[in-house]
Amino acid sequence: MKTVDISITIGGPQGGGIDTSSNMISRAFAYSGYNVFGVREYHSNIKGRHSYTHLRVKKERPRSLKYPLDFLVALDPDTIFEHIEDVGKGTRIIYDNSIEKSDLSQARMIMKDTSDRIRHELEHSGDLMTVAGAISLMKKKGGIAIPIPFSDIVQKAISGGVPSRYYNTLGAALTLAISGVDVKFLEESIRFVFSSKEKVVEENVSVVKAAYDYCQENKFRTDNLEEIKRTPRFLLTGNDGAAIGKIMGGLRFQTYYPITPASDESTIIEEHEDLKWIASENSKLAKSGIAVVQTEDEISAIAMASGAAITGARSSTATSGPGFSLMAEAISFAGIDEIPIVITLYQRGGPSTGLPTRNGQGDLLFALNTGHGEFPRMVISSGDVEECIYDSMNALNYAQRYQLPVIHLIDKNLANTSDFIPEIDSKKVKVPQVARIVHSPEWRRYSLDTKTGISEFGVFGKDIFWMTGDEHDELGHVTEDSELRDKMMVKRFHKLEVADSEIPISDKAVLYGPENADVTFVTWGSQKGPILDVMEILGKEGKKCNLLYLKMFQPFPSEFVSGILSKAKMVIDVESNMLGQAANVIKLNTGIDITRRILKYNGRHMTEDEILDAARTIMGTSQKKIEVVLKHGA
Amino acid sequence: MAHNFKTDLTVDWCPGCGDFGIVTSITQALTELNLDPRGVVAVSGIGCSGKTPHYINIAGAHTLHGRSIPYATGVKLSNPKLKVIVTGGDGDMLSIGAGHFVAEGRRNSGLTIMVYDNEVYGLTKGQAAPTMSLGEQTKSLTRANIFGKLNPIALALSAGYSMVARGFSFDMKQLKEIIKTAINHEGSSVIDILQPCPTYNNINTMEWYKQRVYKLEDDKSWNPIVTPEDDAKTSGEKFASAMTKALEWGDRIPTGIFYQNKAIPPFTKRLAKNVPNYLEVTPAEQRVSTSDGYTVVDPKETFADKILM
Ligand SMILES: Cc1ncc(C[n+]2csc(CCOP(=O)(O)OP(=O)(O)O)c2C)c(N)n1
Ligand code: SF4
Ligand SMILES: [Mg+2]
Repeated sequence: MKTVDISITIGGPQGGGIDTSSNMISRAFAYSGYNVFGVREYHSNIKGRHSYTHLRVKKERPRSLKYPLDFLVALDPDTIFEHIEDVGKGTRIIYDNSIEKSDLSQARMIMKDTSDRIRHELEHSGDLMTVAGAISLMKKKGGIAIPIPFSDIVQKAISGGVPSRYYNTLGAALTLAISGVDVKFLEESIRFVFSSKEKVVEENVSVVKAAYDYCQENKFRTDNLEEIKRTPRFLLTGNDGAAIGKIMGGLRFQTYYPITPASDESTIIEEHEDLKWIASENSKLAKSGIAVVQTEDEISAIAMASGAAITGARSSTATSGPGFSLMAEAISFAGIDEIPIVITLYQRGGPSTGLPTRNGQGDLLFALNTGHGEFPRMVISSGDVEECIYDSMNALNYAQRYQLPVIHLIDKNLANTSDFIPEIDSKKVKVPQVARIVHSPEWRRYSLDTKTGISEFGVFGKDIFWMTGDEHDELGHVTEDSELRDKMMVKRFHKLEVADSEIPISDKAVLYGPENADVTFVTWGSQKGPILDVMEILGKEGKKCNLLYLKMFQPFPSEFVSGILSKAKMVIDVESNMLGQAANVIKLNTGIDITRRILKYNGRHMTEDEILDAARTIMGTSQKKIEVVLKHGA
Repeated sequence: MAHNFKTDLTVDWCPGCGDFGIVTSITQALTELNLDPRGVVAVSGIGCSGKTPHYINIAGAHTLHGRSIPYATGVKLSNPKLKVIVTGGDGDMLSIGAGHFVAEGRRNSGLTIMVYDNEVYGLTKGQAAPTMSLGEQTKSLTRANIFGKLNPIALALSAGYSMVARGFSFDMKQLKEIIKTAINHEGSSVIDILQPCPTYNNINTMEWYKQRVYKLEDDKSWNPIVTPEDDAKTSGEKFASAMTKALEWGDRIPTGIFYQNKAIPPFTKRLAKNVPNYLEVTPAEQRVSTSDGYTVVDPKETFADKILM
């Protein structure tokens, strides 16, 4: 059978139903048995500005996205203008034929700088400053224009109403019809998406039928897409993954102050706060839930979660850059007071408000150094949706076992990635119960009599002890004694060594591919998938590649990393930031300097094709110090 | 033997400081209420006032400057069975922590909040606190204060606190009774405590206050309590008279309970509507794993909405 690998971007105005549309497309392909991987891109705006979803459909699970597209589906003129560069040989451009005359200058929602850039491009190619001009340029790149009478099709299908309200369904239907997806699967998606609204379902199904008929009449349809037996799967985003991991990991108290792209996690936890227990252990008192509290700011969010942690509730908060900056002082407090607390840090493009809805990995060094003074913390990172689940469970475990703040990094790209997960394994990670006992009078909360630096935990409500942001004695009272100070510092940092020795290397760093390779990629976070795909392509060309993938930055697996890198022939660091922050961490811990780098900091996701191109450039030069900055992205 | 609510730590406040009277009032209140010492928690911020928890023999957290309220709220909301008292300075509560102070009024989590009102930043050597009057120059100030005076009682009332009171650290009998009422009050309470700082505030001294304070409860017709049975008009009138009394300052300074509204449901009860068994088996007490050590959650059940069949 022929291999299926379809890349689709569907775009339109924010608030114009792009999410619904891409959901319909993903589900219809999934109902046909395929896997779909997608990323959502949007402006910091509620209505009107350009947003899009980039999808990839394959039989096996896709791990990355790529350009050029197979389909560009434009629900408005802005999408045509914004995605010129995504088009290549064979890209089908589906758009409303009535927008052809739309002028770039009328596309007011395109940011001025972007608009200027597009104007230059059109000027340069000698095309008109209109949708028709942009289409003409796309055709020169090999694109195939498919102008569709959007409004006619909708009006034929339904009487009355505003036709443009159905354009998102129409866009999905045209894409699926042309791809050869059976109409019944789109109908099923529509039933799901508009579940309870019978009339809406009917209207949308009529629009779908009209679209399929239109494609049939005009011979746009390709062969029927082969149907594969479908199996039940979870359709999850990175935000879902983190929420699910926390819920399974025994989270009982979550705080947050709204911020993109972190607050979705808290909303998802809130939606599932009524926990359904494993049937065999279900008794009335066992039934439980999670308290989710929206706080007045992020300082309160971390302070409240810390307060909850000292009563024994597994606690966490989720935020991104600006909120995380506000948490610094309280993270330092959690460090000195040995509070088990998880902070999920969704990285977006900084500094300051930066690119609030775009991707970035610029917070690694900050996460390693947040807060004044020296104290132990753990910093971990996830690179795909499944990792988000199990890493979130582990994060709660680490916090409890080592009694310290755990910072869990997830980048925006991953937070907004949607993926199909065959299974969630509830037996993959254990969930230890916090001991709730009244200790004997000899017990000291910060006892120095420990081989691990870990003193026996006690909780407010059971034990009487003190906590203070000041240096303290074993009871938790303020001290400025010079000798005790040294002992407490050593005790606290000892925990990190213990963590390092107890945690299996597979949770800290993973080597993908053969041990000996021509090229060794190094990365963390959401570039993992695209690099694995790039390795496969290069592998077929006879280039042996491997990937050193980092998951834990504190404690840092120095020995493992230097073991691999000191033997490597050519090392290429791949990160979504400007400074190569993980490379800096590697240098600090191992002394190894990675001088070949692929970096991207324009806020957009890295794709298979651009990493591949950049890798080829680096592999094809004798230059030892080279930095390729990736530029793609609408 | 009855629990000794005082620790044997050396108290390092200046001689004559109003803080001593506050700690004594708190420990006496705890003793008289005969509370289980493991069922009460003290949380404070940073300042002279912030040291309070170390002197009380119950679990205590001496947290960050301005952040005592959110830490305390976390303790209370994760284990609503605990009584939580919060102590902090006027700078701590009303300047750096003012956002939390206001937010807690809307939550009404059930905290007993005591503001040590000495009109100065004690621990940082006497700078003007938000409660100092405009134009006042205490001895450590190089110039007279050019900020206006913040009114803690009026702020607490408008933030929505369901109990608002004022005590005087040299009237421990009255203060202790106010604290007892506040601890038994289901919602959150604010007690503004007039606390002379002999080291830095040479204007608002013990004598200065003694000449001015009077007790609201001495007026037998004074009834600050709103019950669920009260209609909107009655409760509105009680709030209005509390506000009127809040504005009184100068020659006569009212102390006692300004307002106590028993009709406002605490945050814990609001949360309980969404979170099953929240009050019976609190988040702090819940099981997170089954007997085999794995999660109590069945992902296929709990996340059924995410499954694509
Ligand atoms: C974030 C932060 N900023 C500044 C300080 C320094 N500081 C310590 S106590 C204090 C003010 C104390 O005044 P107040 O809260 O009124 O308490 P008092 O000492 O009067 O009881 C300040 C500013 C600090 N500890 N933390
Ligand atoms: S400085 Fe003032 S508030 Fe602080 S201990 Fe001394 S007298 Fe009390
Ligand atoms: Mg003060």
